[in-house]
Amino acid sequence: MTVRNGSATPRIDAVVKVTGAARYEGDTPMTGALHAALVAAPIASGRIVRVDDAAALQMTGVACVLTHANAPRLAGSTSPIMLQDPTVWFVGQPVALVLAETAWQARLAAAAVEVHYEASPAITTMHQALDRAYAPASAGHVATDSLRGDPERAPRACEIAQRYTTPTHNHHPLEVPCVMARWQGDALLVHATSQAVFAHRRRLAAHFGVPVDGIRVVSRLLGGGFGAKGSAWFPCLVLGVLAARHAGRPVALELTRAEMFTLIGRRQETIQQLRLAATSRGELTAIRHDTIAQTSAFGEYADPTATVSRVLYACPSVATTHRLVRVHAPQPNPMRAPGEGPGSFALECALDELAHALGLDPLELRVRNHADHDQHSGLPWSSNSLRACYRAAADAFGWHARPAQIGSLRNGRSVVGWGMAAACYPVYRMAAQAEVALDRDGRVIVRCGTQDLGGGTTTILAQLAAAALGVPLAAITVEIGDTELPEGPYSGGAHVSASVTPAVEQAARTLRHQLIERAVADAASPLFGHPPGGVAIADGLLTGSGRSESLAALVARTGRLACTAHDAPDPEPRVSAYAHGAIFAEVGVDPDLGAIRVQRISAAYACGRILNPLLARSQLIGGLVGGIGMALHEQAVTDSRTGRVLNTNLADYAIPVHADMPSFDIALVDEHDPHLAGGVKGIGMIGTVGVAAAIANAVYHATGRRIRDLPLRLEQLIA
Amino acid sequence: MRPFDYARATSVCDALELAAARPGAVFVAGGTDLVPLWKDAVCAPPAVIDISRLPLGAVEVGDREIAIGALARMADVADHPGIGAAAPAIAEALRASASGQLRNAATIGGNLVQRTRCSYFRTAGFSCNKRAPGSGCGALGGDDRRHAIFGASEHCAATHASDLAVALVALDATVDLVGRGGAGDAGGDRAVAVGELFVTPGDRPDRETVLRPGELIRALRVPRTALARRSCYLKVRDRASFDFAVVSVAAALHIEAGVVRDARLAAGGVGTVPWRLRGSEQALAGARPGEPAFAEAAARATDGARPLGHNGFKLELLRRCVRRVLDELAGAA
Amino acid sequence: MTRFSDRIEIAMSVNGEARRVGVSACATLLDVVRDQLGLTGAKRACDRGACGACTVLVDGRRIYACLALAAAQDGKRVVTIEGLAPGGELHPIQRAFVAHDALQCGYCTPGQILSAVGLLGEGRATDEATVREQMSGNLCRCGAYPQIVAAIREAAGV
Repeated sequence: MTVRNGSATPRIDAVVKVTGAARYEGDTPMTGALHAALVAAPIASGRIVRVDDAAALQMTGVACVLTHANAPRLAGSTSPIMLQDPTVWFVGQPVALVLAETAWQARLAAAAVEVHYEASPAITTMHQALDRAYAPASAGHVATDSLRGDPERAPRACEIAQRYTTPTHNHHPLEVPCVMARWQGDALLVHATSQAVFAHRRRLAAHFGVPVDGIRVVSRLLGGGFGAKGSAWFPCLVLGVLAARHAGRPVALELTRAEMFTLIGRRQETIQQLRLAATSRGELTAIRHDTIAQTSAFGEYADPTATVSRVLYACPSVATTHRLVRVHAPQPNPMRAPGEGPGSFALECALDELAHALGLDPLELRVRNHADHDQHSGLPWSSNSLRACYRAAADAFGWHARPAQIGSLRNGRSVVGWGMAAACYPVYRMAAQAEVALDRDGRVIVRCGTQDLGGGTTTILAQLAAAALGVPLAAITVEIGDTELPEGPYSGGAHVSASVTPAVEQAARTLRHQLIERAVADAASPLFGHPPGGVAIADGLLTGSGRSESLAALVARTGRLACTAHDAPDPEPRVSAYAHGAIFAEVGVDPDLGAIRVQRISAAYACGRILNPLLARSQLIGGLVGGIGMALHEQAVTDSRTGRVLNTNLADYAIPVHADMPSFDIALVDEHDPHLAGGVKGIGMIGTVGVAAAIANAVYHATGRRIRDLPLRLEQLIA
Repeated sequence: MRPFDYARATSVCDALELAAARPGAVFVAGGTDLVPLWKDAVCAPPAVIDISRLPLGAVEVGDREIAIGALARMADVADHPGIGAAAPAIAEALRASASGQLRNAATIGGNLVQRTRCSYFRTAGFSCNKRAPGSGCGALGGDDRRHAIFGASEHCAATHASDLAVALVALDATVDLVGRGGAGDAGGDRAVAVGELFVTPGDRPDRETVLRPGELIRALRVPRTALARRSCYLKVRDRASFDFAVVSVAAALHIEAGVVRDARLAAGGVGTVPWRLRGSEQALAGARPGEPAFAEAAARATDGARPLGHNGFKLELLRRCVRRVLDELAGAA
Repeated sequence: MTRFSDRIEIAMSVNGEARRVGVSACATLLDVVRDQLGLTGAKRACDRGACGACTVLVDGRRIYACLALAAAQDGKRVVTIEGLAPGGELHPIQRAFVAHDALQCGYCTPGQILSAVGLLGEGRATDEATVREQMSGNLCRCGAYPQIVAAIREAAGV
């Protein structure tokens, strides 16, 4: 099998999306559905004493009010969001749910529900309880702490010890999460914004004590996710299903933008202590990366923030830790580039500080510490083209012309600075099943129960099948986002392409083989009796020795043919697989007014096989834009006296706008990875890694100001 | 979030009569500020009076003054070639405001009376003396980065959000107001300087302007002077666009024979009302452009400023903004 | 005074078609096009005029439908994304969006496209910096901004 890059074809759902014909789940409400609205707790900690819903129940259109007192009981471990008990854990926690004939009536009635509380003392920010930090069971999927060598006794000619902080972020896909649920007996149909239809189905079955087979979860088209429509959103999804169970009618629940700040996860705030030691020649001798992060008072989640320090550089002595502080605040969860995103800010800024302390070029320092294998696991890299990334991006950027002197580049009034960072992100793979079928009408259907967050999974699936089968892209129909399909992976961690590619290619190849077999065995086919090895399929045509027949004609005569394939990752990998990247950023700083603008970014990525360079470039830029937001804009602010998030709208929670955009120069480094099935590493996360550090390092190069707290704000340059 | 009734006014007199007939009813034109405030339950008017069809949208640049109808859209005023030439600070302030869509919908009158961006005001769960008099101020002692260093009281430190108003204060603009029983469709009943239109919170943060109940802004008038001709607006914000001012400054200089005959400076993002920088103006009056007057004007920009917990940086930033606009105006021919 | 009412009958031209709709006094134009007329291309994403996903053209000008009272649109000419390619022939901006891959999840896309069409109509798409500034009322969380601007520049010829 040849593993090669795919073609830069436009996404196959582009036309429906530019014409408004694309139907997202919230665009087609279920007929006869009741609409739900939530009542949120105004206190950070305490208990519900009494709910007075008499006035709400009298209002026009109101069907019922659910509270912890009357909501159906759920089995298994539940979230405080699911209305199972009277304890309040954070401001914004749903304490009641109103069902009415229209969404408007439900909202009016929700405002009329009176809830009485008994408040308890609350920890509203993690800074109030740093002394109570504890070690979680794990950091993401990996061990909480790590130690190799002896960082305390490592030799050192130069040392950097600094504290870096990153704030709370929210995902904010533009599409607001929604769920529509309809029960028929114990059978359940759910249309929802879901990054994980199969996982959600399994968990729904467990909570409601009904057979998995009776549940269908559909999420065909997603308006972004970034982590906000997976496990963190699941408790709200359950609320919709719970309400439908209670009411005996279909229910639609659509969150508000403000609720997205509290109910569907967040990137946790971090405090990161970095200590680097090096020889005078810049060889790292020790790295300590200690992270403290926020978790909720009721749940535990730790991003693998410090893990980037375990693997990115060669270093004999490395220690990393993750600690959590319980806060009466919303539950954190993974957000685009979880762990590596904020972790690389600290590590890559510290590297820059070390380079300046040593008088070394920051790029040269990184090259000198290149890791030739994964020193954390001891495994060889499946492939590692980080050095090629450095070269490609540095050349494109013109890094060789960088003056060492701080503040020496000017452009009119602004001071210009250059900064860089390295990036890596682990390759995750999940088990995946896919079916490729040739219908009687000649259409090729690819069926896989994964989701498309917007990155282009639909297009990739079509391209893979088209290439492996030998049919034009236009002949392909893709079906995703439905538990009626063969089980695909959840969408997250940039693993969908890496996970589904082998299964889709295998299914398509098998189908191809069987079609040829069928043709040569069919007396009515012009290819009858031909040796199968001599038959090719291209452009939907079977050809051999000058004779040919279209696939459409073959199946029209002989019937539909479908093939399914399954692929799962090696449970005990013998290689360590990471995608890599290098980011070079130029900023312009108004030295008087403090305004920071990113002017250009050159970045190069090595992500194994690239299935569609056009879409890959878009997704990498998207990741970089997320990184610019992290660097300069994004921050959910909590009022420490009340525990309430202050900026619960998209005017005050600032994400970058068109005018904030630099020019982008993206290089995709050719990388053949023979150890990965399908050769794909995934590109959804890595674009966000390292960006904030590259920008902060550029600001230092421009101004001599080392800002270690995100977001970088003008007041940090004015002071 | 409470439902409201709707009525469409057919004339200025009709609008005033409608307002008199329905206590608590509010005027709406573009709706760009009222609608989100209503959705967030920050306000709950029983009724709205749609004034968007009243013939108050004209923009006239005359020999002695610029007259801008209260219902002129922000985009149309910003693009008006006469305004760009006669009062660049107005065009620049409008172009730096909001977004293309908002500038297409929002009116000049509505822009002036838009409510503060203070998150404690705009989020119903917080204490706010402006939204719920007597409930306390969540911002004082809270997250006050965006709040005022001028004109605050122990009850409120919310900044005024309009860019345009800052430019208008600097250019000595006035608003024509009409009330019931007055001239109605024929003209304004009283003229109020924009600098006098807004009131500092004191112990009544819910009172923001001197507008009387049911009174309507009819038009703006800006004197067409040498001062206005040499004016500019500088806005510092976190995002490069579609963001409110962290600090902004409008400035106008009348320089004649190498001497500053007259100077006007006002600042946004720093005051509970658009803040006139009188100390800076005094430092400039009669002085030669450049050093040492500009440095003195910058230094005096923060006369009387009282920083809060997280907005002390605005003092230095304001001084630097003043210095920047003066240098630009003096450099401009 | 009986002139105040909680429901209003309005007439609009929507995508070239005359429509009469009874609307609630507090309904926005977005509520009406999505929930009453079934035109779901305009998205309810922030519902506060902060993201641009609800952008429509009213009398040729781009506005946020989530902030516009429906009752005030009586007699207006409304164009939503569904009305941009009548007969299936894509508008040049739509074609450029496809060619430049100026979208990912597609949720902000109708708003971006209508904002771009409005911008071209306003005659303000004069250079790259201006296009960026003028398009800043449309957020894209997938980060397709550079491709969006490239598409608009191509369609505008700047």
